[in-house]
Amino acid sequence: MEQFSKGQEGREEQEMIKRTPLYNEHLRLGAKMFEFAGWEMPLQYSSVKEEHFTVREKAGLFDVSHMGQVFITGSDALKYLQNLVPQDLSKLEEGKAVYTALTNDNGGIIDDLIIYRLPDNGCKFLLIINAARIENDLNRLLSQKGSYDVVIDNKSNELSMIALQGPLSSEIISDIGISDDNIPKRFRIKEITINGMDAFIARTGYTGEDGFEIIVKNEDAERLWQDLLNKGEKYGLKPVGYAARDTLRLEAALPLYGQDLTEETTPVEASLSWTIPKEKQESYAGKDIILAQFSNNMPKRKLVGFKMLDKSVPRHDYEVFTDNEKVGRVTSGGFSPCGNVGIGLAYIDTTKHLSEGAKINIMIRGKLHPAKIVKTPFYSVKKSNK
Amino acid sequence: MTIDLSEVLCTKSHEYVIKKGDILTVGITDFAVEQLGDIVFVELPEIGTVLKQGEVFGTIESVKAASELYIPVSGKVVEVNEKVIESPELVNTDCFGDGWLIKVSDFSNKELAEMMNYDEYKDFLEKEE
Repeated sequence: MEQFSKGQEGREEQEMIKRTPLYNEHLRLGAKMFEFAGWEMPLQYSSVKEEHFTVREKAGLFDVSHMGQVFITGSDALKYLQNLVPQDLSKLEEGKAVYTALTNDNGGIIDDLIIYRLPDNGCKFLLIINAARIENDLNRLLSQKGSYDVVIDNKSNELSMIALQGPLSSEIISDIGISDDNIPKRFRIKEITINGMDAFIARTGYTGEDGFEIIVKNEDAERLWQDLLNKGEKYGLKPVGYAARDTLRLEAALPLYGQDLTEETTPVEASLSWTIPKEKQESYAGKDIILAQFSNNMPKRKLVGFKMLDKSVPRHDYEVFTDNEKVGRVTSGGFSPCGNVGIGLAYIDTTKHLSEGAKINIMIRGKLHPAKIVKTPFYSVKKSNK
Repeated sequence: MTIDLSEVLCTKSHEYVIKKGDILTVGITDFAVEQLGDIVFVELPEIGTVLKQGEVFGTIESVKAASELYIPVSGKVVEVNEKVIESPELVNTDCFGDGWLIKVSDFSNKELAEMMNYDEYKDFLEKEE
């Protein structure tokens, strides 16, 4: 028996594998470790399915300290960032977050990221970026600095991030001593103190559930992690590894950089048109290409969701066929524990006019398996009222 | 179903066989199951397929990944476990019992003699770690 295809994993060889400040915690909790984006991260603590359902039904705790944090400050911060992303940051209120892409001059995605506007006369932004892309992103940020009055402050090596995700997250957050006033609403961020630790707490995540992402100094990460685990125990909180993180984000149809998003894909192709305001005045990298694709809604290919019609499991890089003709490629695939079925995201040739409900086939080990294009996300919760 | 582990022979690629008369039952070991985690899909050969030692006879997929299955000894497939195709989690719950994969006849006794017994397999795993 030999593994020949893997789900979520860093694909580039890295010179040195890094460890987060929570490494010893993962070992203590019996995690199976693996390499992801140059970091040694927990793959799973117990069973992937069990961890998956813990997040869907109760709450799960994730170490996402490998992710990057870059602060942009200065009087030109807004003007400068407006040139780099399709979202209209002038509309972004202080304390709010927006999901967007750092685009290149062809409209390709250098990285997907969340930008928070922090309360500081509107001149302070926090960028949360993918671990594997920190260097590329910084190169891009520095190359576009020009004469703008901005300071680009990469704090990735000093800060840790812990994600608390699942329907019981807000109760656990209250229980560790964060007052209601200090709990941010959906897609918002607050700068607070948690039991003496300086922290940013944001109501964002990568699972399709309500939840929080908390940023603290590296030296505080272990204490926050333990506090959350201890207080969360009676709610059924458990640590969750990257295997379940991948099944959770795939069910929520959240793209993974390096698989679903690359420098060769535009936000329109990646079905992220909802992140492109048409009315934004300012120019940004790749704007003409992106808007042209957007207005005729006809990029050459488009990311769609599909589910298998038999028991097989699609994986990254499998080919997509209709009528024995190759029409696309799977970028993310796996087994959906909630749907009990194989699901995936694939780039499909748009000239074939395949839309929701269309039958396709996935080539799995030399055999075509039936599948159907479906609406995404594959899984969603009713919007929280909070 | 309880199983007498002294009857179990294993490969370095974590398949096992159990010999009952003229028939070999083939599956994956408890160690393999632990490594794979939740098994969600099993693909097995058709009855009558003749396999040479080391050939791929199927695929097993967990939530995490897909793995190929290698036949420990040459032989002919006489039965496939339809139950594990329907309920792949049987491999997780009872890999040496109800979670068996295929049954093989006309096998090579010489190749069978080369396999590790369960104790030797455990030693092999320890050295691997």
